[in-house]
Amino acid sequence: MKKRDDVLVGIVMAVAVLVAIVGSLWLARGGLSKGYPLYAKFPWNSGLKQGQPVLLAGVNVGYVDEVDLRPDGTVLTTFRVGKDYKVPRGTVATVVANGIFGDMAIALTPKAPNPNSIPPEDTVPVGPSAPGIAQITSKADSIATSVNAMTTALNKQLIADGGVQDLRKALASSNALVLNMNRLVSQFSVIAAEQNRQLSMTQAALRRATSGIDSAKIDSTLSSIRTTSANMAQLSADFRLTAMKLDSVVAKANSGTGSVGLMLNDPGAYNDVRALIQHMDSLMADVKKNPRKYINLSIF
Amino acid sequence: MFARIGERGYFLRDIGRGVRDPATYGTETIRQMRNIGVDSLPLTAIVAAFIGAVTAFQTRYQLFGGVQLSVVGLISRQSIILELGPLLTGLVLTGRVGARITAEIGTMRVTEQIDALETLAYDPIAYLVVPRLIAALIMLPMLTILANAIGVGTAFLTAILATDVTSAAFSEGLRLAFAPFQIVYSIIKATLFGGAIAFFCSYEGYNTTAGAEGVGRSTAQAVVITSVAILVLDALTALLLAPYLQG
Repeated sequence: MKKRDDVLVGIVMAVAVLVAIVGSLWLARGGLSKGYPLYAKFPWNSGLKQGQPVLLAGVNVGYVDEVDLRPDGTVLTTFRVGKDYKVPRGTVATVVANGIFGDMAIALTPKAPNPNSIPPEDTVPVGPSAPGIAQITSKADSIATSVNAMTTALNKQLIADGGVQDLRKALASSNALVLNMNRLVSQFSVIAAEQNRQLSMTQAALRRATSGIDSAKIDSTLSSIRTTSANMAQLSADFRLTAMKLDSVVAKANSGTGSVGLMLNDPGAYNDVRALIQHMDSLMADVKKNPRKYINLSIF
Repeated sequence: MFARIGERGYFLRDIGRGVRDPATYGTETIRQMRNIGVDSLPLTAIVAAFIGAVTAFQTRYQLFGGVQLSVVGLISRQSIILELGPLLTGLVLTGRVGARITAEIGTMRVTEQIDALETLAYDPIAYLVVPRLIAALIMLPMLTILANAIGVGTAFLTAILATDVTSAAFSEGLRLAFAPFQIVYSIIKATLFGGAIAFFCSYEGYNTTAGAEGVGRSTAQAVVITSVAILVLDALTALLLAPYLQG
């Protein structure tokens, strides 16, 4: 009996101790394997603490192992990555918010796939951190302050300075204006209806006048117009022929051929004509001066 | 009141004297470890399992939209390891083990078996109290560790089987901001609770009077005093050690 007690107590104690050790290791490291360490230097107030996840391209690959506050304004963070995962070269480490309660995580963001990986115990370059919940809260606070200022200003303008009363007056005036516009529109409607009625009457009269026209007379008139038009076309053709002939005569005259051409273009003929006219002038002068020299009228 | 505290102080002094006599309590200690530890394991496991399941289930459905589900793992772990595991184990063992200790020693007192031990030159405290105290101090932490593991395990199973929490999310929450001192904190609490159970219940049993009625009265009083003492110790440890718990 005593021996059995010893065994049972021993088993329970051994199991409890084993559970405590293995459980602590699993909770602290994610398993018995620690993974390999990498380092990153983040600025103060990054909000990192032990046990927070490390995400490689969004996949949980490790955990924050140690956070060491440095006097140079940085936090040297040791994080462990599972042996099955390789961090490609060119990867940038940033601190990102993990949920809405201000919890943080390290995000490893590769620029592109790279067969070369960052070796264990190397330092991963740090990129700009995403805004944390504190910064978002601060921004929200600033927005709330602006909204409060706007509310105060609106309160002053609308309540204290009587803006609401002005608005009410403006609305009342607008209502009156709208009523006037309505009256005007109704008047326009009446006028439009009257115009419409008169147009309808005019249309009816036109319809009646149109129905009174003798179509035979119209056909006859159109036929006459068509004949006149044909005659006019013929006349036009004759005119065109005459003009062509005149063009040919003028062309001949201009070319200096023929009698007219010679008359028009020969300077000798021109001079002869001028001399003749001068002789005629002197003759006429002499006739006026001595008519009896030329006219000897005897009746009996 | 001060007289009562003083009486307990003397009792503690006598226990200190009894510890110097391992030949008297050595063999009895193993038997008490079996009674207190091994035999209490099923009850402790059942309580821890249900507490873990309820914690995970309640936590999941208290979360409002937008909260990441890994919070279920985090809250379950912190609740069970830091508070519910040691506290409920202590309270359960107060009822199961503490009452038994008081009743056993009280019966021996009213039936004058303790007087007989003294007559035989045995130190009754070294023979009756010290083994129970040592067994409680050792086995309560062991039971608490197992209760924590069972509680977290059932919380995990409940979360992934009965809610929309994934195993990955729960595991992430379990590991978030974990510090090994949290386990040590749980063990410290359990050790204090074990000591309180053995000490107060042994004292009440050892000082039982007035026959069978006195045994019953002492047992009830021991359970009440021990329960209150456990709650007070729980609060004190939280006040003293909580600042060191942050991961």
